[in-house]
Order: sequence, then C-alpha cells, then structure tokens
Amino acid sequence: MKFMGYRRADGRVGVRNHIAVIPSVFCAAKTAEMIAKGIEGGVVLRHPVGCGQVGLDFEFTARTLTAMGNHPNVAAVVVVGLGCERFKAAELYEGIRKTGKPVGMVVIQEDGGTVPTVEKGIRIGQEFARQENGRPRVECDISELTVALKCGGSDATSGLSSNPTLGAMSDLLVKKYGGSTILTELNELLSTEHMLAERAVNKEVADKIYAAVYEVEERLRSHCDDRFPGRNALMSPGNFTGGISSIVEKALGGYEKGGSAPITDVIEYSIPPEPGKKGLFLMNSDSHDGECVTGMVGCGAQIVAFTTGRGNPTGFPIAPVIKVTGNESTYKKMQDNFDFDASGVIAHGASIEDLGKDLFDLVVRVANGELTAAERLAGDELFCVGRR
Amino acid sequence: MLRRCLVIDPKDTVAVLLEKADKGDTVQTPHGEVILLEDIEFAHKVAIVDLDAQQKVLKHGHEIGYMADAAPKGSWIHNHNMKCDRGR
Repeated sequence: MKFMGYRRADGRVGVRNHIAVIPSVFCAAKTAEMIAKGIEGGVVLRHPVGCGQVGLDFEFTARTLTAMGNHPNVAAVVVVGLGCERFKAAELYEGIRKTGKPVGMVVIQEDGGTVPTVEKGIRIGQEFARQENGRPRVECDISELTVALKCGGSDATSGLSSNPTLGAMSDLLVKKYGGSTILTELNELLSTEHMLAERAVNKEVADKIYAAVYEVEERLRSHCDDRFPGRNALMSPGNFTGGISSIVEKALGGYEKGGSAPITDVIEYSIPPEPGKKGLFLMNSDSHDGECVTGMVGCGAQIVAFTTGRGNPTGFPIAPVIKVTGNESTYKKMQDNFDFDASGVIAHGASIEDLGKDLFDLVVRVANGELTAAERLAGDELFCVGRR
Repeated sequence: MLRRCLVIDPKDTVAVLLEKADKGDTVQTPHGEVILLEDIEFAHKVAIVDLDAQQKVLKHGHEIGYMADAAPKGSWIHNHNMKCDRGR
C-alpha cells in the first residue's frame, strides 16, 4: 500500500512539511517563538532545558532536540541559540546539517540581541519557506510509516475499547503492511514483562525487555518510601473503584495498545531503530504523556495515536496526534478534540477488528495530509524533553 | 433483565459488565447464560465459570490473579475474593 509523503535527503519519509524553529536552550525560547510567527508553516519547539545539565540528562536533551531537527516531518530548521549555553547552538546545527537537511542558525549574543536575531531568523526561515512552497508529495510505501502508541487520561473504557482498537490498528500496520509502531510507558506495563518477553523476536530482545522494565521499576522505587510497598502502589483508589483488581489487570489495559505482533527490539529514548529494522518496538521510557510522546517522535514516529477515556486536548508541534476515545459521553462532550470514536465496543458491541481497520484507514488519510483535531487547534503541549 | 457484558478473550473466566447490573440480572457468555448472584457495577467483573480457590482468573486472555476463595459463576470478582502476587 502507498501513501503520499515527503522524502528527505537522508531517505526518511515525512507526513508533514514543517519549518521548525528550535531553541538550543530555554533562554532563546521567546526569540524562537517570535521567529516562528514570522514564517508561514513555521513551528516553534519550545522547551525548558539546554543548560545546567550534566550526564545522561544532558544527553537526553541533546539527542532529543537533534532528533526533532532531523525528523522527517520537518523540511528545514532554524536553530536559535543564546551563546553561553551548555548545549551549543552550533552542535545542534551540525547534528542536523550532516543529514543533508536545510538548516540555518542565529545566536542572540552574537547577532545583536532579540530584535536583530528575530529579523535574521525570519529571513532565514522565509528563504526556506520559499524553497518549500508548493513542494509536491511523492509516493511512499506504507511500510515506511511509524506510529507511536499512547494512552493518557484513561478511564474504564480505555482498556476495553480504545486501547484494543489501537492494538488492532498496530497489527494491521505491522503484520499486514510491514510498517512500525512503538509502545512504551514501561512503568504502566510492570507485571506484564513476562508476556512482553514471550513476544520478543529472540532471547536477546527478551533479556532487553526484562532489563528495561526492571530499570524503570528501580527508578520508581528510588523515589518511594515505606508508604508505597510494591507494585500495587502504582494503582490509585480510582482504579479499584473502577473495577480493576490487580496490577496485572491494570497493566493489561495499556498492554492492549501493542496488539499481538512480535516485539522487534527495545529502543532507547529519541534514538531511532537501526535503518531497515521494522515492526513493533518497545521504547525504554516511563509514561509522562509529553516526555514519552516526544521520545517516540524522536525515535522516528511520524504519527501519534493517542487514546483517552476522559478527554485530552494535547498535540505535538511537528507530528499529527490522532485522538481516540472509547467513552461515548466524552466523545459527545469534547467532539472538537477527537478524531476517532471507538465507543461502539461498549455502546453497541462493535467489533475491535472493524474499528482497528477504520482507525488504520484514518492513519493513512492523516499520513496523506488530513489534519487531526489537535492540529486544527494548533496543540503543541506534548513536546516535553525527557529528563533523567 | 439481560445486561450487556464483554468477554475480551475466548480463554477468559470473567466478563466485564458494560452497564450497571443487579442481582438476578443475566448476561450472555460463550459459556451460556449466567445469572448474577449480586449487584455489579459498570466495568466490574463477573465470573462466567465456577471458580475454585487458587484457580487462575483470566482476562484479556492472561492471568490477572487467582481466587482466594471459591466463587460460583455469577459472582462479582474483585480484590475481596481475588489476589495477585505480582503486585507485591
């Protein structure tokens, strides 16, 4: 199956053609925002990091911002630096330039402060906008699509209808069409690690699954005291009231998003899989909505499929986010925020398989350019660089 | 009164109520009609087979815990009668 996308210099395929304005440090955020406003199709990737960081935390920031610039949904990039930050604008610029993508750079301390920097940045961005104006989409294979799987603002309907619908969509994309999906939120999957490991393509990947889950669990424990004994502490009173009786049962509701495909590999935050490797991936991250969506987009997901029972307006600056709910009243109450209604499972016994096909069709339409609700509303809240 | 329920996987030993149901109401399951032995809330679980003490409780096709006490089909299954060692 084919869709119409944008082929980049490095061979990767995008579903949008944004001009991204990326500050290398939070000090340059407002300046970057002003530059983006002056460019048609310009989007700012605003963030609170880039300085005062060391070690793995700094690595997360550096590779995530670089991955955003290199993302195939981005046509060209304007990098905005301050001048004295830990994550140098020149390093971000060079990380993007070497993939062959058009990129420019302005630095506030060198370019004369905010106003001259904004003017110079807009001029660079305008040139990119001129070059990209009217760029036609080209035929791409559906196997080049990667969809990030996410749930947030969940309720009792999520594990029964919307998450299984994502799973059915994932199975179609991965098993029938040779594409890729990414599952993460490992803290939410604690107690299903034996089931995930059974689905690993080989022993090495199974070992990586156990190691990643235990790493997340260890990090959670390091933040806990005696008031939170064991994994059941991850359950809230509302889970029990809602009918969930055990941590495994809770986790299975989220596990459903991954369908039934074998797990190809465990990948790290904002590091795309090895070229040519496709299938269902497990990304090593916990479940902060913004941080994990950002990591999955950093891993190359061009589209995000996001389920929510309670309703959620969030979007991502450079990737369409498809909002799915299994809750009929939430859908009716918040229709502007939704792209897909999976409530038929509960309301009138609709089949998960049929809904999965319909959602897959929507994914393809969005890949071809159909805007999602979060895009129409210019939602960009989900861009949050992960911290360690 | 017939109530709607969801059996997620054919292996499951419990069904999920898709609406609030009262004692004496019935649900249709792959194991035949089951009469509810107590009131059960929306999204809570009902045993669709007789469950022995220590027997695995299966939902989503996987073990979500085991029975602390035996419970006949039609019983509400929750953390008052089901345990799970993976939560410790």
